[in-house]
Amino acid sequence: MNLAIFGQNLLAGVAIGGVYAMVALGIVLIYKATNVVNFAQGEFSMLGAFGLVTLTQAMHINYYVAIPLVLVIMAAFGLLFELGVYFPLRNRTFLPVIIATIGASIMFQNGALAVFGAAPQKVAPMVQGTATGGFTAGGVFFDYHYLVILAVTAVLMGFQYFFFEHTLLGKKMQATSQDKDMARLLGIPVASMIAITFIYSSLLGGLSGMLVAPIFFVTHRMGGTLGMKAFAASIIGGFGDVRGAIIGALSLGIIEALGAAFISPVYKDAYGFLIVILFLLVRPQGIFGEKVAEKA
Amino acid sequence: MRKGFALLLAAVMTLTVACNSAPKNNASGSGSADDKKPIKIGVTIPQTGGDVDAGRLMKNGVELAVDTVNKAGGVLGRQIQLVIQDDQSTNPGSVAALQKILEDKDVVAVVSTVRSTQIAAQIPTINELKVPVAIGGTNFGLTQGQSPWVFRFRPHDGMSAKAMVKFVVEDLKKSKIALVHSTDAFGNGGRDMVVNALKDYNNTLIADQGFNTGEKDFTGVISALKQSGADVIISYIAASTDLGILAKQMKQQGLSLAWVGSPSITGQDALRLAGDALYGTYGVADFNKEANAKAKAFAEAYKAKYNQDPDFYSSWPYDAITVLTELMKTTPDLKPETLQKALLATKGLEGVEGTYTFDKNGDGLDSYHILQNENNAFKLVKTIHANAGK
Repeated sequence: MNLAIFGQNLLAGVAIGGVYAMVALGIVLIYKATNVVNFAQGEFSMLGAFGLVTLTQAMHINYYVAIPLVLVIMAAFGLLFELGVYFPLRNRTFLPVIIATIGASIMFQNGALAVFGAAPQKVAPMVQGTATGGFTAGGVFFDYHYLVILAVTAVLMGFQYFFFEHTLLGKKMQATSQDKDMARLLGIPVASMIAITFIYSSLLGGLSGMLVAPIFFVTHRMGGTLGMKAFAASIIGGFGDVRGAIIGALSLGIIEALGAAFISPVYKDAYGFLIVILFLLVRPQGIFGEKVAEKA
Repeated sequence: MRKGFALLLAAVMTLTVACNSAPKNNASGSGSADDKKPIKIGVTIPQTGGDVDAGRLMKNGVELAVDTVNKAGGVLGRQIQLVIQDDQSTNPGSVAALQKILEDKDVVAVVSTVRSTQIAAQIPTINELKVPVAIGGTNFGLTQGQSPWVFRFRPHDGMSAKAMVKFVVEDLKKSKIALVHSTDAFGNGGRDMVVNALKDYNNTLIADQGFNTGEKDFTGVISALKQSGADVIISYIAASTDLGILAKQMKQQGLSLAWVGSPSITGQDALRLAGDALYGTYGVADFNKEANAKAKAFAEAYKAKYNQDPDFYSSWPYDAITVLTELMKTTPDLKPETLQKALLATKGLEGVEGTYTFDKNGDGLDSYHILQNENNAFKLVKTIHANAGK
């Protein structure tokens, strides 16, 4: 295995890890606010991607105008999702809510199948006007898309960390997450905090979907794998911690890519889930898990 | 809440039972052939679920064939009537659809689907109900002694592997062969068939790269191919998205080898998704509209009716109806046994997919076309009869 091939696989792992990270950020965010895992987070990505397909291909809207438009739509969708799926069950335990998100995920998948059909859709690349969509340096091919994904992930990671630790709104949201009754007593509008969380999470999902659409193609099934991998990444990193989701997602991507290259690609999905099982056995709270333990 | 859930469950179960037993009143039970009554042919295809697109194309195929036959006066002075049931893209759905259709004793034959796994699920029921069933699934095992009632209107996977290997070795003159395949039933089956076919040439695979369906990054596979020193790739990949991503990443990472792929590489989806990354590749296909005069006429009629070019999803069901109705003209009693005998005796009957000669297992075709992608259009390179010669 020469250095260029190692580098190529490492880059692929980091980039795919970046994609998992964006979806995982959404999962962690909602978990932090509501103590519930949103299993429809992968479907947010799928819907964002289909939004981009519809606006650019069916309605012929300019690509770079369509992206913010989809984000606006996704924000509205996040609010509707919160009102339709979370809000009616907000006073129940976490289990009915989780089941509701699974149900919503199945509904979105089949809805997308009914509306958009089963044929996969192609989307134009984010960086246009190049023949191969990237450049080669030192024998390693750098896909512009992978670089965009990594850049966006890095910005979001910084933003989200800053937001939760250093802004009043972020702290209000954390307080809501830790103890809703106490937060309410302190005058924090709990319902609004949770609604904002879902809106932002839906935005994140839509953004990740649009970012991966040109490299993964858009199908009604695309959210399923993404959601599962992001969930696994959150377990590795530790739920309820932004850094954890990022580190977990990047490690998952790298483990999968290098495992596929050095051992065998057949078991690519298995390497990641093997690590998840190890974590569940040895360190169920994940790498950055202390906060969750304090809460309990 | 528990009570509510139990109630819901009970409601769902009741509905399921009701749906499965609903059309009992359809069964006339008489079975007598009224001279004026239409001849019924059953069709079990997906109309809901993941395979709806394939189902729509198959429906186009059978309906075009029935229109053609009926306009020409029908069979024995009677019109052909289709009885279509949704297989829901699932195995249980396929069996339920078949049972529903065959409760009507007037149905003389059935056209099933292209999904091998669903046909495998139907086989016990087919054997029980003893009616000739035309299939388009290409899994080798489906016709191998499992049922005397199953007749395949496409060449099977063993033949595609033979055709690909023959083309690679004899025409492309390559010997360092790498295989890339998905690790589902289709891809693994293809791998075994390629390994077998290579034995005829005393050759083995230089690299064998499997991957899970739904893979998003093929860098590992591409690295392995680069290091193997292979000079040609044979691929068994069913999902067009997998194929599209692989082709694109191969091009980006600078791996350009001769490539012969399983039928999906000649499909419209792969063309649309991969674009120029698939230029110059070869693929096997059982249907090609340029292959013979019948195929040409079929393609024109299809385009006129549905405003799109037909592919194999529509061509084999078209052939199934055409061949079945042709045979009915010589078997006026329309009994399953007579029709079965007539099918087995069929020799050299021309269809749009190729020339049908059924062997004792019920396999009607043995030829695959090798097509080359020339700037998103396909050129017919040659037609390979897998059973000829070797």
